[in-house]
Amino acid sequence: MTGVTVRFGPVAALSEASFAAERGAIHALVGENGAGKTTLMRVLFGAQRPDSGRVEVDGRPVAFRSSREAIKAGIGMVSQHYSVIPELTCLQNLTLGAEQGWWLDTRSAAARATELAARMGYEFDWHAPSSGLSPAGSQKLEILKLLWRDSKVMVLDEPTAMLSPADSDALYASLASLAGEGATVVVVTHRLPEVLAHCRTVTVLRAGRTVEARPVGETTTDELAGLIVGHEPPRPVTDRATAGAPMFVVEGLRVRGYRGDEAVKGASLTLHQGEVVGLAGVDGNGQRELFQALVGTRPAQGRIELQGETWVGLRPGARLAAGLRLIPEDRHREGIVEDWTLVENAALGLHRRPPLAKGRLTDGPAKLEHAARVADRFATRHGGLGSAIRSLSGGNQQRFVAGRALAMEPKVVLAFQPTRGLDIDGTAKVYAAVREACRAGACALVVSFDLDELLEQCDRVVAVCGGLVREPRPGLERDRREIGRLMVGVEA
Amino acid sequence: MKAPALGLKEVLLALVCLGLVVLAVVVSGAAPAEALQRFVQGSVVGPASWRRTLQEATPLLIAGAAVFLALRAGLFNIGADGQLVVGAMVGAAVVLALPGPVGVGLGVVLAMVAGALWALPAGLIKAYRGGHEVISTIMLNNLAGFLALWAVKGPLKDPRQQTATTALLPSGSTLPDLVAAPPFRLNLALLVAVVVVLALAWWLSRTVAGYELSAVGQNPTAAATAGVETRAVTVRAMAASGALAGLAGACVVFAYERRFYADFSPGYGFDALGVALLAGSSTLALLPSALLFAILATGTTAVQLLGVPRGLSGVLLGALIVAFAVVRYRRRSP
Amino acid sequence: MNLALASLITLSVPLVLAALGGLTSERAGVMNIGLEGKLLAAACATAVVAVQSGNAVLGLLAGVAAAVVLSLTHAVLTQSFRLDHIISGMALNALALGGTNVVAKAVIDQERSLEGAYLPVGFYWAAAAVAVVAVAVYLARVRGGQWLLAVGNDPDKSRQMGLDPVRVRYGALVATGVLCGLGGALIASNAGSFTDGMTAGRGFIALAALILGGWRPLPTLLACLVFGGVEAAQLQLQGTPVFGAQLPSEFWGALPYLATLVAMVGLLGKTKAPAGLGRA
Repeated sequence: MTGVTVRFGPVAALSEASFAAERGAIHALVGENGAGKTTLMRVLFGAQRPDSGRVEVDGRPVAFRSSREAIKAGIGMVSQHYSVIPELTCLQNLTLGAEQGWWLDTRSAAARATELAARMGYEFDWHAPSSGLSPAGSQKLEILKLLWRDSKVMVLDEPTAMLSPADSDALYASLASLAGEGATVVVVTHRLPEVLAHCRTVTVLRAGRTVEARPVGETTTDELAGLIVGHEPPRPVTDRATAGAPMFVVEGLRVRGYRGDEAVKGASLTLHQGEVVGLAGVDGNGQRELFQALVGTRPAQGRIELQGETWVGLRPGARLAAGLRLIPEDRHREGIVEDWTLVENAALGLHRRPPLAKGRLTDGPAKLEHAARVADRFATRHGGLGSAIRSLSGGNQQRFVAGRALAMEPKVVLAFQPTRGLDIDGTAKVYAAVREACRAGACALVVSFDLDELLEQCDRVVAVCGGLVREPRPGLERDRREIGRLMVGVEA
Repeated sequence: MKAPALGLKEVLLALVCLGLVVLAVVVSGAAPAEALQRFVQGSVVGPASWRRTLQEATPLLIAGAAVFLALRAGLFNIGADGQLVVGAMVGAAVVLALPGPVGVGLGVVLAMVAGALWALPAGLIKAYRGGHEVISTIMLNNLAGFLALWAVKGPLKDPRQQTATTALLPSGSTLPDLVAAPPFRLNLALLVAVVVVLALAWWLSRTVAGYELSAVGQNPTAAATAGVETRAVTVRAMAASGALAGLAGACVVFAYERRFYADFSPGYGFDALGVALLAGSSTLALLPSALLFAILATGTTAVQLLGVPRGLSGVLLGALIVAFAVVRYRRRSP
Repeated sequence: MNLALASLITLSVPLVLAALGGLTSERAGVMNIGLEGKLLAAACATAVVAVQSGNAVLGLLAGVAAAVVLSLTHAVLTQSFRLDHIISGMALNALALGGTNVVAKAVIDQERSLEGAYLPVGFYWAAAAVAVVAVAVYLARVRGGQWLLAVGNDPDKSRQMGLDPVRVRYGALVATGVLCGLGGALIASNAGSFTDGMTAGRGFIALAALILGGWRPLPTLLACLVFGGVEAAQLQLQGTPVFGAQLPSEFWGALPYLATLVAMVGLLGKTKAPAGLGRA
């Protein structure tokens, strides 16, 4: 791929980017969020038309107009959020769009599927609904989908984002064996240790341009990190808080999950005044349900107390009034109203508090002033407070939501993947502000699937596994190996 | 929120819609030019036409506000028609039993209560069972029709009349005219309608409850996360919408018709949906929007004298909704 | 008893055809409150052509064509113009109701003396039976059915897998048109002529049956039979006293709608709509 340019309106997502990968190896494509990695791969996959540039496969120029054409040409892509449709069975998902004939012979399809799975050392119940698959299971199904379609070029976007360290290693082992059979594997990732451990070459994108492409053996993590951000990465935080009095206490919390089973099985956790606690864990271990139970949008049994006041039976509105502040996981769904202006969005969740509300009425000037403060907090770039928040980039929306969560005397800040969509600088600023709010008398719980980020930024890290919160042994609160073991359920 | 620019595709569609209406006129054997002339004369020329148009605009404004309120909460209240009919029926029944100004006042209140109650099942089913309000309100509309038919054939029927209708309300038991210079008349009900729209605009933009209602309509998950009781808001919005629709029915009875009869509503509720959709995101736009629909209604009635069947109004309504909605309610491309 | 059975079938089959039409549309993710309009348009077209040409087959074809045209208009509006599915369905219902009124007045009134020619209702009964099996098998065992389900559940992911959701939905809506066309033609054939608004809300009852059937072919068939049964019972029971009281005819007329409402309160929590329903 050479000289690829893609414009969204006046913004160039890619300008003259290039990328090359040879057969039989795993290649990495790295860069910050918004650097254009996914866009570049979508061009290759025919899901995005480039404004200019050339794409060649096996030396022949190609210009796919749809994913269908790309798939036919042997290119397969696994997107970050997987394309498994939960309402279909595993087999239906496997064959979708690449069925053997107009009549679905499920028996012969299942036989071939089992054969492919055996080749990779996987096992599937092909007639079971795919909604029951774990993230690792979905990832495996995605790889089999590539095999089913005889893909020769395989692109995986952030394949390990939702996998445990052990599952990640297994995935790379599978990919290595595919590469050994002659496939071209491209991994889009931001996890540099993986790149160094498993890939042959690495290409760095920054602000839509290719800034470096070289064999992995000739580089280091530090050098790559520098290339990615374009300057020295910020140093990890060194000042750790000394914990104050217990402030927010959770004990024996039980929560039913989306599928009706018990997702949180008696979790206990204490946040002390002034500290930022990270909750590490592989996706799907009850983090979402725990988070929602603390917010109050999901019923729970057990004890939740803020400074001695019980929260059990309290509706979310009352918890927000008591000082709960949120940075929800999926900001589009949970955090903002996309068609609303920044002014209206700034008040969301705080709209019943004075001065934004005077009794049953809202106060326009106060809302405007509040919105300006929220936007300034993390230097949200916007086209006026009266413009719709959907006109902001994802990173700027996230800054705005974070700014809102730290406004108006927070007591407990709950953050779920608060730095999703933020660059390294933005990440550091959000954590710094959360710490600042805590030093002023609040406490915070940060849920993230990125253990390294938590270790760098939090005062203390605990792990969640199988719906239980596990505390590391004294003295090992920020020990990577200790927490990693707790995350996968290995007893210390 | 700026509407996306119009392309050739949209203009073409608008032309097709216009063509359909002309075709309907031609099929029914009238000359389009003559029909257009009748249309304009019957709706906006002369005091008598204006009286009819403003009379028609009254229920459209109030019911339009009802649908608009529900739409803000993310609810398609197709049931406004049934709520209006039930409201009108209850209003008429109250005044027949208790004539006089007190009866009118009580009639208005009970009409609103009846409308709210008729909408309530749809709100509850939506909030607690996840059933789509469009389906439930369609069922409630049919039920309202049968209830009204039974009432005017049975308990409310005026025995002196051949047809299924109530007796005429006594003359002291109606809403007074503000201006009475025949052939022009302007009833208090129109003022009520305008006040309802202004009050709704204020309520939606200046109160915490209005803010929460809009939040639920735009993004229920975010609203719930922000501490809004989404189910309660949904139920309340549906009931309030029904109450307004009931008020619209009471106004028609007390200001204009002075009686209740079988097939009382010529489809006010569906026109009201058009009114609300056309108003888009602005509450005050309900005023011109309702006026336009009123002109369309009186105009097509006038055209009917040429032998054009009443189905023309359906064609016109459908074509209009498509044309306007494509311009205003197009979803953004992914 | 035989009479009761015949009446049950007569009243159920139009519902079955319309509900199956709704099923192909909604399983592909296109909300369709316009079934009523399609039935009405098809009934009108069938009657008009049957009167004009005296040819029963031409009448049927005209009915199917009318419903397919309406259905494709729904596809154009929702897929190509990305119009809200409910608004489009409403508008098309209004168009069909008004349009058939205009056409019927212009054509049928003037030629009152002519008798129309209609296919025997048995043909439609057979067609409905075949359609139930065909739709069920198509969804479970045919490639196109798998595409339809995938698109209905998640159009974006389906596009990623190389499907063209818009094309799949156009195809599904043609099927909707054909099925509703058959249903409408049957309604006209049953009555032997067209009268204004003669479908009398059957399109909405069919939609309710589809929802109660959980968007699955066989349970939907069952729901249609129940609704048809209630209507048949209504005709039989009208005038018979219940517990010594004479119930008004309006009560019996309202019964199917009341049953739907009660069913929505009681059952709907347990069924699940296609995940991509109404999504662009």
